Amino acid sequence: MTLAPFANEPVLELRRAGERARLADALQALELPVRVPVWIGDERRDGDELHSTDPAAPERVVALAARATPAEAAGAVAAARGAFPAWAATPVQERAAALLRAAAWMRERRAELAALAVRECAKPWAEADADVCEAIDFLEFYARGAVDLAAGSPLLQVAGERNELRYVPRGVCAVIAPWNFPLAIPMGMTAAALATGNTAVLKPAEQAPGCGLRVVEALRAGGVPAQAVALLPGEGDAGAALARDPDVATIAFTGSGPVGLELLRTAAEVAPGARQLTRVVAEMGGKNCVIVDADADLDEAIPAIVDSAFGYAGQKCSAAARVLVHEAIADALVERLAGAVAGLQVGPADDFATDVPPVVERAAQERVRRYAQLAAREGSLVTGPQSLPDDGWYCLPVVATGLPADSAVLRDEIFGPLLAVESVRDVDEACDRIDALPVALTGGLFARNPRTVQHVVDRSPVGNLYVNRSTTGAMVGRQPFGGNRLSGTGTKAGGHDYLLHFVEPRVVTENTMRHGLVV
Amino acid sequence: MPEALELEIQRVGRALAEAFPSRRGHPLKALDDRAMDLAAEDAELRAALFRFVDVVPACRSLDDLAAHLTGYLEQVHGRPPSLRAAMRMGDTKAGRAALGAAGAAGVRHMAHRFIVGADPAAALPTLRGLWRHGIAASVDLLGEATVTAGEAERYAARCAEALDTLAAAYERMRDQPALERDTLGPIARANLSVKVSALTPLLRPEAPERGQRDAAPRLRELLRRAQRLGAHLHIDMESLDSREAVLDLVLDLLAEPEFEEGPSAGVVLQAYLRDSPQTLDTILDWARDTRRAQPLVVRLVKGAYWDHEVVEARQHGWSVPVFERKADCDVNFEALTARLLEARPLVRVAIASHNLRSVAHAIAFNRLLGGADSDLELQVLRGLGDDLGHALAAGGLRVRAYCPVGDLVAGMAYLVRRLLENTANESFLADQAHGVPLEELLAPPAGEAAPS
Repeated sequence: MTLAPFANEPVLELRRAGERARLADALQALELPVRVPVWIGDERRDGDELHSTDPAAPERVVALAARATPAEAAGAVAAARGAFPAWAATPVQERAAALLRAAAWMRERRAELAALAVRECAKPWAEADADVCEAIDFLEFYARGAVDLAAGSPLLQVAGERNELRYVPRGVCAVIAPWNFPLAIPMGMTAAALATGNTAVLKPAEQAPGCGLRVVEALRAGGVPAQAVALLPGEGDAGAALARDPDVATIAFTGSGPVGLELLRTAAEVAPGARQLTRVVAEMGGKNCVIVDADADLDEAIPAIVDSAFGYAGQKCSAAARVLVHEAIADALVERLAGAVAGLQVGPADDFATDVPPVVERAAQERVRRYAQLAAREGSLVTGPQSLPDDGWYCLPVVATGLPADSAVLRDEIFGPLLAVESVRDVDEACDRIDALPVALTGGLFARNPRTVQHVVDRSPVGNLYVNRSTTGAMVGRQPFGGNRLSGTGTKAGGHDYLLHFVEPRVVTENTMRHGLVV
Repeated sequence: MPEALELEIQRVGRALAEAFPSRRGHPLKALDDRAMDLAAEDAELRAALFRFVDVVPACRSLDDLAAHLTGYLEQVHGRPPSLRAAMRMGDTKAGRAALGAAGAAGVRHMAHRFIVGADPAAALPTLRGLWRHGIAASVDLLGEATVTAGEAERYAARCAEALDTLAAAYERMRDQPALERDTLGPIARANLSVKVSALTPLLRPEAPERGQRDAAPRLRELLRRAQRLGAHLHIDMESLDSREAVLDLVLDLLAEPEFEEGPSAGVVLQAYLRDSPQTLDTILDWARDTRRAQPLVVRLVKGAYWDHEVVEARQHGWSVPVFERKADCDVNFEALTARLLEARPLVRVAIASHNLRSVAHAIAFNRLLGGADSDLELQVLRGLGDDLGHALAAGGLRVRAYCPVGDLVAGMAYLVRRLLENTANESFLADQAHGVPLEELLAPPAGEAAPS
């Protein structure tokens, strides 16, 4: 099988009216609620213990899901364990082909899948469409990556011995996924596991079981055996049960820092009966900073910062949370930023004109409001009052200034539309503040002196640094994504070395000398 | 007609070439900056130069200017000796001061060729001089990007003020019959080009009606003022991201009953867009259905966002919306010219090009249709099309120069775009500057017509 080189799935050209109309039709045609079962092999247990609702209209139920019990989690792992030898032995080309067919399945349903993400997670259209594309990208990218990886890695060879390194799957992978990229991230982690010959149990976020169902449907429709990928809608207890299970070889997790650290602790404990160390691939939170030097072009910096901080209401791991601006242009930046934010339209995700959709749930809304109140107390909010839609988990987009250095607003991951601006003497002071943070996911820099850019590149601890552009929107194969320090295990989703975390290397050395002859 | 047309194109083209004021005054040479010649040949050097031009207004001191300049030059491989000397100046404080001053002066000098003044009042001497030489103007107010409502208001206020200033100034200028009347009637003297992206911070490609709604009141006020003053208001076209919003906005507003009697207004058609023939359909359908005393002016341009459109499309995996071969674009330009000229009196036609062939084609086609020369407007860019403008005026043709006005900060984006456009390999001006023979410059474009 020869595959065409990887290319990103093109996002829809939403500047064309026809494309917008097609999406609106798909939303109209969407049949809700989606029923999401605990789905292990061919066994479906439907249920309605878990509801996902439209964050813009909480009375609208998007998915009615079963809530997996710890016993079901154990059952799912056992089934995946049973399916592992056969899937691992399936030639990599066949596994890759199944993933490519899953990509095709999604491609045929792009509008419908995007519409579901709009409803279930309040992803605005452009971002919902990008999420579908990214899911397809992961399938296409890891399918190719697994084929390449199967060739092994070259070793030094000397006369009389043959050395070989190859990569083999580790076993069952528990995928614990977030809601903010409800198709792409679960698909990425699951596809990486399956491509390399592991079997997988996907626990989607409780806020997004409907999208989780589509991920598993796509994979199974593509030809991944039902036994090799299970769907386990549920809450934290299901995830915890997976993490404790001695038959789970790898945990692939994307989500909050506290949960990630808990998973790492659990995994470090070798469970009775375990015959393998549990590996954790974790992508956790950040406190992402954008440095703006005095020579920055604010015409470009302002829209990019607004997009980075307020796109999807700030609910991307890559979203900008702090701006560190050179004092020479701090006033101009704050004035223009405040004006730009004042013009943002807060509204439902299904409105193409929406800039800031609601946050995912009531608890998130309350959290963001608490931090906004704190920011107003400790500093000042430069964005005036605006009206919000009545229904839905809406938060005002807010810019805060004048916060004390020890403010929780500057430290905690708020995961909402709140951006703090700090004035700094120079780029080095900005770098110092960033260096003081325990997290290091993404960062931004607006500067036009190449020496400054190089200096910041050298000093920046983050996993993804964006220069003179927005800090979000990493593309598979172009911006492998993941953080350092407490932001994650240093893995890069959508990068060439990502699959290495799902395999273990085995080296075989064979003596080829016999009776003094090389045979 | 094809043969007769071709003969007439050649005749017109040759006559224009002969009327060029002087070979030495060629616009590219006129930049009188060896850096430009070097830049046209060396992509890295060009990048360094443009990045420097772009950052000049943001630099806080001569030292800072020099630091940026040497920073960019550092990234150029195989630097010519003159640049190595410049780099060495960066080693001392005094050297940096001299280098920074020289760099800033160079950029200011370059900017002044394209930008006629810091504000409309400052531009008046140039505008009067052009008018005396038989060249009308359309003033374009350069500005920083509009990201807030306040900035949109300020831009609208600047436009209103510019209309007042221009109307008052042009009223006092002496008669130029060739510039003031065509078969359909009088033509406004004062002429302002405006950008919708500056009238609203809310242009969103995926929600065109939003920017449209926000810009409408401001544009409506400007139209009212233009009508009161008897001035012409032209709405520029920018990147494809905003085309739908801009076109719908303008056509909707002009169809409002209060604008039935005026003012004179215009839109832009970009020939580099593959679907520009369909856009012209839209415009002509509108013109047929809309009763207005003053026909809509359609300015045909090649389009100034070619690189942006190509890069954006490639980054997103979209089909490239612009012609990627210059010859195809040239063929489309001529086809659109013909359709526009044939569509009169539904519309008035302005052909904006520095391509001698395209201009000669428009003039020849008009004459063969039996049109008067005054029924065709030809537009050039201040700073790049000056020679062509004078040659056209000398031939009694109706010429208008597009004159950007603004300060250095605001002007850099415009300047960089102009420089990019004219150091491109396929630039007509570059060909002309490098002595490509006239026969070649006037040869029919060997491209394919747009599907329409």
